[in-house]
Amino acid sequence: MVGPVLIVGAGVAGMTAAVELADAGVHTVLVERLSTVGGNALRLYKAFPTDDCFFCFEGNRWRPGIRKCFYRSALTDQPNIDLRVNTTVVDISGTPGSFTVRLRTEPTYVDPKKCILCGLCTTRSEAFKLSSPQCQPQTVSVDPTLLDDEARRVASECPTHAIDLDATPSEDTLVVSDIVIATGYHEFKPQGVQEYGYGEHPNIITQLELAEMLDPTGPSGGVLLRPSDGAPVERVMMVQCVGSRSVDHFPFCSKICCVFALKHANIIAQEHNGIRVDVVYMDIRTYDRHERYYRMARRAGVGFIRGRVSRVVPRDDGRLDVVIYDSLLDQYLQYEVDLFVLSSALEPSEGTAALISQLGLQDRSGFVAPVEDGSVDGVMAGDHVFVCGTALGPAEVPESVTQARAVVSRILQGGV
Amino acid sequence: MAEKSAVLLCTCGGQLNLDYEALVDRLGEMELAGHVEVHDLVCQPDGLDVVKRLLAEHGRLVIAACTSQKLKPRVDMALQHDGVTAPLITYVNIREQLAWVHKPSPEATEKALDTVHGAISLSALAEPPSVVCKDLPRHVTIIGAGIAGLECAVNLSRLGYSVALLERSDEVGGHLRRLPVIAPTGRSGPEVLGPRIDAVMSSDRIDVMLGVDVKFVEGEVGSFKVHYTADGSQEDGVIETSAVVLAMGFKEFKPTMMDEYGYGRNPDVITQYELSTMLSEGRLERPSDGGSVKEVVMVQCVGSRSEQFKRDCSKLCCTFAIDNALELLERDPAIRVHIVYMDIRVPFENEAVYRESREKGVDYIRGRVCSVWQSGNNTYLRLYDSLMDQYFQLSPDLVVLSSALLPPDGVEELAETLGYAVEYDGHVKELYGKLRRVETRRRGVFAIGAVTGPQFVSEAITDAQAAALLVHAELQGGRIETVPRGAVLDLDSCVGCSLCAQHCPRGVPLMIEQDGGADETEKIQFKAAIDILNCHACGVCQSLCPSGATELNFLTNEQLWAQTKGALSHAGRDRPVTLCFYCEECAASTIDIAGTLHMEYPASTRLIPVPCAGRVSAIDILRAFEYGAATVMIASCEKNRCHMGGTGNEIAQAQVDVTKEILSAIGWDSRRVEMYRMFSAEPERFRSAIAEMVERAHDLGPTPVHLGTAGQWKEVVS
Repeated sequence: MVGPVLIVGAGVAGMTAAVELADAGVHTVLVERLSTVGGNALRLYKAFPTDDCFFCFEGNRWRPGIRKCFYRSALTDQPNIDLRVNTTVVDISGTPGSFTVRLRTEPTYVDPKKCILCGLCTTRSEAFKLSSPQCQPQTVSVDPTLLDDEARRVASECPTHAIDLDATPSEDTLVVSDIVIATGYHEFKPQGVQEYGYGEHPNIITQLELAEMLDPTGPSGGVLLRPSDGAPVERVMMVQCVGSRSVDHFPFCSKICCVFALKHANIIAQEHNGIRVDVVYMDIRTYDRHERYYRMARRAGVGFIRGRVSRVVPRDDGRLDVVIYDSLLDQYLQYEVDLFVLSSALEPSEGTAALISQLGLQDRSGFVAPVEDGSVDGVMAGDHVFVCGTALGPAEVPESVTQARAVVSRILQGGV
Repeated sequence: MAEKSAVLLCTCGGQLNLDYEALVDRLGEMELAGHVEVHDLVCQPDGLDVVKRLLAEHGRLVIAACTSQKLKPRVDMALQHDGVTAPLITYVNIREQLAWVHKPSPEATEKALDTVHGAISLSALAEPPSVVCKDLPRHVTIIGAGIAGLECAVNLSRLGYSVALLERSDEVGGHLRRLPVIAPTGRSGPEVLGPRIDAVMSSDRIDVMLGVDVKFVEGEVGSFKVHYTADGSQEDGVIETSAVVLAMGFKEFKPTMMDEYGYGRNPDVITQYELSTMLSEGRLERPSDGGSVKEVVMVQCVGSRSEQFKRDCSKLCCTFAIDNALELLERDPAIRVHIVYMDIRVPFENEAVYRESREKGVDYIRGRVCSVWQSGNNTYLRLYDSLMDQYFQLSPDLVVLSSALLPPDGVEELAETLGYAVEYDGHVKELYGKLRRVETRRRGVFAIGAVTGPQFVSEAITDAQAAALLVHAELQGGRIETVPRGAVLDLDSCVGCSLCAQHCPRGVPLMIEQDGGADETEKIQFKAAIDILNCHACGVCQSLCPSGATELNFLTNEQLWAQTKGALSHAGRDRPVTLCFYCEECAASTIDIAGTLHMEYPASTRLIPVPCAGRVSAIDILRAFEYGAATVMIASCEKNRCHMGGTGNEIAQAQVDVTKEILSAIGWDSRRVEMYRMFSAEPERFRSAIAEMVERAHDLGPTPVHLGTAGQWKEVVS
């Protein structure tokens, strides 16, 4: 008997697995550590390979069509899906096919089924806000540090009584037949990697941070401004393989960073007049049809420098001096840039290591390894334990989706 | 027959700044409003009870509340709980499209009244739903028995399907049979294939057919007929099947036309897969004279990343080359291996294999090969090293070309009858690159593995497993029972023009030969047939149909016109109104997000949803002018991003273009109609588009043909 199935992580892979299982009539418990689903995808505004927004999510039998925005994915209003945000797995016991899982849920203070986004609380108190128009569940979030008397008064006036500021953490224990690990990735924050100076100067940022700056609904309305002083950016430099392909950090290639960077380089070169972009790289890895991004970048006048950054020095005028060794010219070059963007490695998400040890799984560079039974079966991590998306290693959105479907396929086949 | 509907207005917890008193009064005067009621929280349990009550009492209901994208799932779930499916409810968005984007004003109230007026006019003509059942044989045909096809067959058999696994060659396993090692697993191709071939051969649900060539396919999901020829047989065979999975793999590029390499003339110049074959057969010698191999030069990107042959990267060749380089060193550590490359592309942990190869002494040269020639018994090669900025010459025993991976033969031919779309590079095109990778444009036809583009073994396996699920979901275990929402064809009205069959984004309408009977000279030989259960309900066939034979069962021509007329009730001489038809995919989302962000735009706008922009015909747009719209805009998904197989909004564009021509021809300003594309990450696109159309409405003034506005128009025929 299949189900219920526990899915840990509600990013692209976890959400897909949940919806496919639910469609097939299997009850699923979808657990998300944060207060909104969507994972890293929610922070990106344009996605490759389709160059439209990242808020896309597959349709299902209940929500016909090929894809829908996150905000309309109705995860809290679907049969067979029990979505639990702000929730982590405390421990797992039992046997494959009948795991006992203990979950801990931190308070969200707002009942997502009751919140109607009417705007009463958000217009009157800073403590309440809509984290993103695309957030799912579609609900107001609470910043407990800003709760004052007015916030409490507002809460009591909520027309649906959705707000409970006295909520406390809770625990729940479930028995599930299968576990799907979809804990995703975390963008490596290269603090302490000396040559890049991340964390030491506000104009040194990562690609995910750049994605937020480019977002037209973001704080600067999509205009590129230097974080240090708000001056317009004239020159951007990107550097590839920060932490990746490095014996000191992550020996593997993070696979998506080249396309990710070139996507941003192209947006800047094509849509932001007059901003110069250069990319410092070792090998440009734009696989298959992603080569298009490289061709586009070359055509759009993006500069490519094969080599490595040797140091970044802040100047008094808010710019950065970047010294680069160019391996083609066998020379050191110096550039002045406004924004220095690090294409940082993908590292396993918080909590992945704990799951690996609790379930006795193998790891692969810190990610969950598929079982090594000779079948080269990408999505089985153990008996009745499956893994999909970037929990398995760096993956693009379409791969994560396909893997999630492969997981559901295997679960419906009886977990074999 | 126009039926009355109840109207339920929601105040969103008393937070919507609308004049509800005026709305109730004036809606109550409308003939088609059977009853008007206000509730503070329709989406909450009390409100849902009101929905149920009104639906039970009045049969049809119009709900004016927040976006239906959020409310409808909740209402549906509540009703389904009571056994009510497909209720006659029409949703009107008075929050994201009204109260959140317009300041309270008489104009905003008029917009609310008009929009509800349109909705009750539509609702009045709605047909009560009926359930349809269909049984589908639990049988699937897979074309190609490489790793993807084998894996898919095993998975489908475990899900309870019978499978015909067709293979063109005389053995199963495809390219993997000859791969000595597959990174990063370290296993050989035959090792990976073994368990799968065993499972396929021992399954009584899987019928393996070797030496089979698929000629063409007829029919549609649930009833395909696959026509094939088998080796040594004169007669064609036919397989009746419910779904087709394409798994034909890839073809290695043979670079005989690239003079610089001498492939095809010099026997010691081979392709990477030819080397794999040699190694897996335990041979390693110079093909020219059987001499021993001491030095090998591998050349990357042969044909790939080239404007002449294949523009894109073939993805696997770097890993292939490194696998073979390591395998060579494994056989004989004294062999010198050079790899000439532009960029080394090895994803994730394949990087470790790359590092290993460098540690084991593989010599990587960044540059390009200029020429390869023979002199005496030896092969010479001249290359440019871009890191050293120097030219070098080598004399290897073998030159191994990492040749591009191309689509297999027959993809284009099969597309003619199977109706899937083909990518610019000749591979099978996926339905939607981000989320619908293994599905194709044609319903019931799936594509997995390298036939969709170069794929690593693990990716092909994942594809195959995912496809099994999607087939299972599509066939719903063999029985579909539902209230269908889609196109219905009136056979008597069909004139056999085949526009619907040509342009349906998902290839649903089929042209069926008609039996005799009538006078041969007047008889229409072929007429369309549409299985509503296959229909994706975009309405493209409806907007194209010259005789009104196909119509969406939830949005007939009469319904859309009635809604348009109702929604333009207040348009008139001093009130130029902009009508926006928006698709319920990206455009609906963009408009909702603009609303959530409270992006203001003028209230002299009326918004009417359609399932896909392709549903809107030139006639629909002209009707809007007739009913009083000063300007009309179509809001759709981005170019190539249409949710309906990618092409619905191209049909919409054609309709808009035709309308512009008509307007010009009759002396109107063609700027009265425009199409805009958008997506929700950029809500400003909608705001600026509708602002532009409102401005044009003011500039151009009211429509020339509306009853109350005739003679007021500004266009001058020059």
